[in-house]
Amino acid sequence: MSYIVPIGPYHPALEEPIHAKLYTEGEVIKDAEVFVGYNHRGIEKLATERNAVQTLVLVERVCGICSHSHAFTYAMCVEDLNQMEVPKRGQYIRVITAELERLHSHMLWMGIACHIIGHDSMFMHIWDVRELVMSLLERLSGNRVNYAMVIIGGSTRDIDDDLRRDILSDCAKLRESLNRIVDIVLNDKTIAMRTKGVGVLPTADALRMGAVGPHARASGVNVDVRRDSPYSSYDDFEFDVPVCDSCDVFARIVVRALECLESIKIIEQALDNLPEGPYNNGFKLVKIKEGQTVKRHEAPRGQLSHMVVGANKLTNHRVSIHVPSYKNTPTVPFMLRNNSVADAGLIIASIDPCFSCLDR
Amino acid sequence: MQEYKKFVIEKDQIVPTAERMKKDGRMLTMIHAFIDTEGKMDISWDYAVEPVIESYHVIGETKVPSVGDIYDTSATWPERELNELFGIEFEGLDTSERLFLPEDMLEDQGKGQIMVMPLSELRAKNIKEE
Repeated sequence: MSYIVPIGPYHPALEEPIHAKLYTEGEVIKDAEVFVGYNHRGIEKLATERNAVQTLVLVERVCGICSHSHAFTYAMCVEDLNQMEVPKRGQYIRVITAELERLHSHMLWMGIACHIIGHDSMFMHIWDVRELVMSLLERLSGNRVNYAMVIIGGSTRDIDDDLRRDILSDCAKLRESLNRIVDIVLNDKTIAMRTKGVGVLPTADALRMGAVGPHARASGVNVDVRRDSPYSSYDDFEFDVPVCDSCDVFARIVVRALECLESIKIIEQALDNLPEGPYNNGFKLVKIKEGQTVKRHEAPRGQLSHMVVGANKLTNHRVSIHVPSYKNTPTVPFMLRNNSVADAGLIIASIDPCFSCLDR
Repeated sequence: MQEYKKFVIEKDQIVPTAERMKKDGRMLTMIHAFIDTEGKMDISWDYAVEPVIESYHVIGETKVPSVGDIYDTSATWPERELNELFGIEFEGLDTSERLFLPEDMLEDQGKGQIMVMPLSELRAKNIKEE
């Protein structure tokens, strides 16, 4: 018997609005379609009427999870157009915030993934550990989301010795907890049974559809903007890029769990070698010089790019934001095919979708 | 470190450029568009030639070929977005379904930025401020 099963756009299992149509035969999904655009706020349009400081505030609100990534990338564009040097200390603080953001984003997703597969004790354990990261972000920036850590030419806040010591000490605790989480992820029967062989995206198809970030790396595509096109101070740090070639939901969990350990490595290096000196160039409103540039950042979900066009005015002439979910969402219908309806929610969630980012 | 290189090409070079990039294993990072200060449409195809973004621009055209056959959804989604937001026509692109904007706004109230601010007004504003 064939059915069309609609999911969303507003559904208890979805954190954000998306509409999926599953074309099923019995329990098996034979084809699927996804529809986005339920959260389109016209942020790019708004940005054309904002100055650089206002735009930082605006782009941070593209997404609640990777808010720092947007401000970071936009600031890099304006700094490039204005040929502005960012003090090394400011760059390091941006990187530390970005990696803390990655930690909290990945752990949030891993918790949700465990919740979806019915492993609620693991969900609570991961979110308990994540609270340590959230507390650090709160101490660092004053906020749990929308950190406002970036200004044009540096960071808004410094890291003093006390905070530096505390972050390092919490990193040690985090590593211990994450090693335990990695161990469970790799060996737990429930996780394996619910995720291995589910929602497969073969390497060739990931490349064909241009998947990015942990989603691509879980399909054997070895890409990471931090390593391939270093920016800010990322070339000062040593880290590995975990890649897994089983191409299924299990691989997506493993890659993200291992990436958390790499983020801790980067944070520790940045704090151990935190340069002396200023952390910004002062608070000033700059004219965005005439020209056009694109900057990319490895956000928690993958490559994020901002294009900024300046016309020697205070406001942007154009800001174009391209988020990782934009590349990863079109892979969902492909992954859903020939899986069971019961796994649809898990497969959609496995790309760590952000429809708020995608719609802008 | 990251670099940005801009190249201005003609409309008939869009597909050969995409084919060459695909053959070289380059990722199409994004297709952008904006109305420049002279009121002309500027469409750009950005390819990651690590660590450089090679950005190929076609200026003054509102009807260009689609590279969806070459880059699959990483091209068709941005093309559909630009079709809705700017009204750019991508030859060969299936626009029968909406991407971002509500269906009832596509036909009756113009597309995308035209809906927020008519293209003619946007163009006039840009020229006036210049």
